[in-house]
Amino acid sequence: MPPEVLLEVRDLHVEFRTRDGVAHAVNGVDYAVGRGQTLAVLGESGSGKSVTAQAVMGILDIPPGRITRGRILFRGQDLLKLKESERRRIRGAEMAMIFQDALSALNPVLTVGDQLGEMFVVHRGASRKDARARAVELMDRVRIPAAAQRVRDYPHQFSGGMRQRIMIAMALALEPALIIADEPTTALDVTVQAQVMDLLAELQRELTMGLVLITHDLGVVADVADRIAVMYAGRIVETAPVHDVYKAPAHPYTRGLLESIPRLDRKGRELYAIKGLPPSLTDIPRGCAFHPRCPMARDVCRTDVPPLYEVPGDRRSACHFWRECLDG
Amino acid sequence: MPEPPQPEQPQPDRPHISAGDRAAEDGAVAATGMGGAMDLAATEAESLEPAQPGGAPGAPERTRSLWSDAWRDLRRNPVFLVSALVILFLVVIAIWPSAIASGNPLHCDLAKAQDGAESGHPFGYNGQGCDVYTRTVHGARTSVTVGVLATAGVTLLGSVLGGLAGFFGGTWDGILSRITDVFFAIPVVLGGLVLLSVITSNSIWPVIGFIVLLGWPQLSRIARGSVITAKQYDYVQAARALGASPSRILLRHIAPNAVAPVIVVATIALGTYIALEATLSYLGVGLKPPSVSWGIDISAASPYVRNAPHALLWPSGALAVTVLAFIMLGDAVRDALDPKLR
Amino acid sequence: MAEPVLEVNGLVKHYPLTQGVLFRKQTGAVRAVDGVDLVLGRGETLGIVGESGCGKSTVARLLVSLERPTAGEIRYRGEDITRLSGRALKAVRRNIQMVFQDPYTSLNPRMTVGDIVGEPYEIHPEAAPKGDRRRKVRELLEVVGLNPEHVNRYPHQFSGGQRQRIGIARGLALRPEIIVADEPVSALDVSVQAQVVNLMERLQGEFGLAYVFIAHDLSVVRHISDRVGVMYLGRIVETGTDTEIYDHPTHPYTQALLSAVPVPDPEARAHRERIILYGDVPSPTDIPSGCRFRTRCWKARERCALEVPALAVPEAFRAVGGPAAHDSACHFAEEKHVVADGNRPG
Repeated sequence: MPPEVLLEVRDLHVEFRTRDGVAHAVNGVDYAVGRGQTLAVLGESGSGKSVTAQAVMGILDIPPGRITRGRILFRGQDLLKLKESERRRIRGAEMAMIFQDALSALNPVLTVGDQLGEMFVVHRGASRKDARARAVELMDRVRIPAAAQRVRDYPHQFSGGMRQRIMIAMALALEPALIIADEPTTALDVTVQAQVMDLLAELQRELTMGLVLITHDLGVVADVADRIAVMYAGRIVETAPVHDVYKAPAHPYTRGLLESIPRLDRKGRELYAIKGLPPSLTDIPRGCAFHPRCPMARDVCRTDVPPLYEVPGDRRSACHFWRECLDG
Repeated sequence: MPEPPQPEQPQPDRPHISAGDRAAEDGAVAATGMGGAMDLAATEAESLEPAQPGGAPGAPERTRSLWSDAWRDLRRNPVFLVSALVILFLVVIAIWPSAIASGNPLHCDLAKAQDGAESGHPFGYNGQGCDVYTRTVHGARTSVTVGVLATAGVTLLGSVLGGLAGFFGGTWDGILSRITDVFFAIPVVLGGLVLLSVITSNSIWPVIGFIVLLGWPQLSRIARGSVITAKQYDYVQAARALGASPSRILLRHIAPNAVAPVIVVATIALGTYIALEATLSYLGVGLKPPSVSWGIDISAASPYVRNAPHALLWPSGALAVTVLAFIMLGDAVRDALDPKLR
Repeated sequence: MAEPVLEVNGLVKHYPLTQGVLFRKQTGAVRAVDGVDLVLGRGETLGIVGESGCGKSTVARLLVSLERPTAGEIRYRGEDITRLSGRALKAVRRNIQMVFQDPYTSLNPRMTVGDIVGEPYEIHPEAAPKGDRRRKVRELLEVVGLNPEHVNRYPHQFSGGQRQRIGIARGLALRPEIIVADEPVSALDVSVQAQVVNLMERLQGEFGLAYVFIAHDLSVVRHISDRVGVMYLGRIVETGTDTEIYDHPTHPYTQALLSAVPVPDPEARAHRERIILYGDVPSPTDIPSGCRFRTRCWKARERCALEVPALAVPEAFRAVGGPAAHDSACHFAEEKHVVADGNRPG
């Protein structure tokens, strides 16, 4: 039985005005996340993965950004049609975001207790004393040792891993249905990353939240995601259940990424490297955006934008030759 | 494998891949298969092929440097051209005021006090019946000289002391910082009243000296800060790892990257120094009549602004245009020294 | 192992913590590097892995003489270079060069690429006659896979991967024997990382370079290294060949580190055993007594707090031999297989 769909992004287009012209950051993104599901959005810098998330959260800088087309449905309601005040009520309470850089996402002059408690004061009208108690509770929940004492500490007094836990606590404060985590562990060391990812996955299961995990790390995706959406130049090029992608990618970009990462478990010979560079968003190639770097590119790729083809097994691929790609 | 901690936004700092990438790639795609490293290296090089729009094809290639590029850039910048022309004009009339104003600025006729413009006297007369046009032209010499020399002195002293302190750090830096703190604590006007009142000479040098004395700590602090910032970059470490001498590091790597804020502050300061000269003159401790300067004229005319606004307007207008010209020049130079803005 | 070109003995770097403005007094020290021994053979790659704050970047800066060690020696071809200065130090620098982590700050934004890559020749005029330099710069750009026509461009006109190539070209200019690379690919996108790693491997063969490759990414280090040293809090806790470290780790920290690396294989999720370390790395100003890993170690006993474990082949393995018999600074070293075998098709 498919779980209740929480978030659905449909045909989203986002542009930025820059000095060098209009940057097409997001060019028709579709994805959906259900309750209790983890969707990993994988992409390199400039692929549009974070911009999409910002558009969903409603924290996109407008201008220079502009949503030119598409819908963002949260529990069936189009967020783009809501008034700012209505969106504010959803933000934080029903969907929350975790950022990569916890140090700059937390206010350095307020104690973490105040910042955590503020959520309850603003959204729930709790008293200060009550808010403080809830803050301690939250810090316990994300397993910060000695929470009752540390609630009076300032963000800089915590280590990187602990700060990321506080970010998670903040996101969880009002028990939202959906969490968007933008590179939550990228700034952390591997051993700490493992702790934080474990915590996040566990809390998600416990609260049956939907989780959109934005990352560039194929290892993290393999560890926690149910589904994966691979982005390139502002589009989703492949989406599938996570096991299938690693077994047999249906898009040459995904294949290239998988083959280009060095492996921990064997020495390996020369790495496969995707040639060239990601395109500039002000000048995305015609046809398939990946064609200049694609080893399988043919004439049609240079002229025709590939639609998201249906691939058996609840998958989609934006490659004209997905069959060949699947066969290896 | 963390990404660099840069926000994932459309990156305006990568304009290079845009323009001609396409053509090169179109060529490369057909030829290249699942290439190895060499292959790819070549491809990536190709993908950068597009000639710069400005570059004439086939022209003999010269090795370019920051300074030659900056100069090329400045020559095409209208802001620079206009401000440079204005400054050139100011310098010419400062050196040779009688070229455009043959009268004597000290020749006054009280009968014509506060009169308006008339033939041969386009700016009218001031409260003493002196010709405003002649006085404004002749006033440029003192005002521009005080402004330019004081700024030059302040910038030189401030950036050398501040730059060296920032670069070498340590005890000298500590001592210098305390000294600048002391100077910051001296109120300018009060300092001027005390220091300049003991000097009887009626030349511009005491005024310039006073401004330099009180002005350098500001520049020194800016220079120190920007040198410390520039010093921390990896490219400075890279130069050290290559065995570069401290003077090379300072001149080649740190100075060009630390100079922008100094230029900005210095050009803004220039205007305030011209105004400071006027203030000091007004208080009677700067230049005294019979010296001619914009400051003296502005302060002399300000009580009569309702009866004879023109006597105030022209010297202050000249002051405003001068200050603006230097600020624009500073802006243009700063931008030209930043390759990212090209 | 090949003939050693670089030997490091007892390297220590402490940064004093001071208080006061004019009259400073020392209140403690950051023990960034606290007794490191290394050997680098000619033409080989020595990988150094560790988490942030373990002192690996300080080791890099010490190796290229950007910092002077508090104690210990660095021998290049038998000569201790830590006390050199002036001309003698400059001569050594020709042979030990560095590649930096951040391609955005390691190139002077106000110099053209030609000037950046040509600067080594200006500093060491004896390395190339004046008339020859421009040709050499163009050659270097070609070697690292950049278009030699771009000598007049500025760094900001290139992408991260291309900038890293420029940094590598600068490092190569003087034909050094050793290149110390501090996280050279960690700031790059995944698809570009592979390009730069391949480039570095190719250059190693072409120019007979020895690399000290410092990174926190264990997979990249395994890929490029012949031997690996694992650092924790200013010390090397385990060292050996890549197989010894990755397939037969004996130090609990190495095991935890390896088991924490996310494996790009969802099938491994189920049967992967992960060692989750609790707590954070202690501050380098306040290093635990005895074994510095004991505060996070699940095996820690009383002995660990009293006795500093030496970096040597543990007694248990000395007689047996085999790949588990390599240097490991643990009183209770035992082999544990933590890296899941990859049988990923394709």
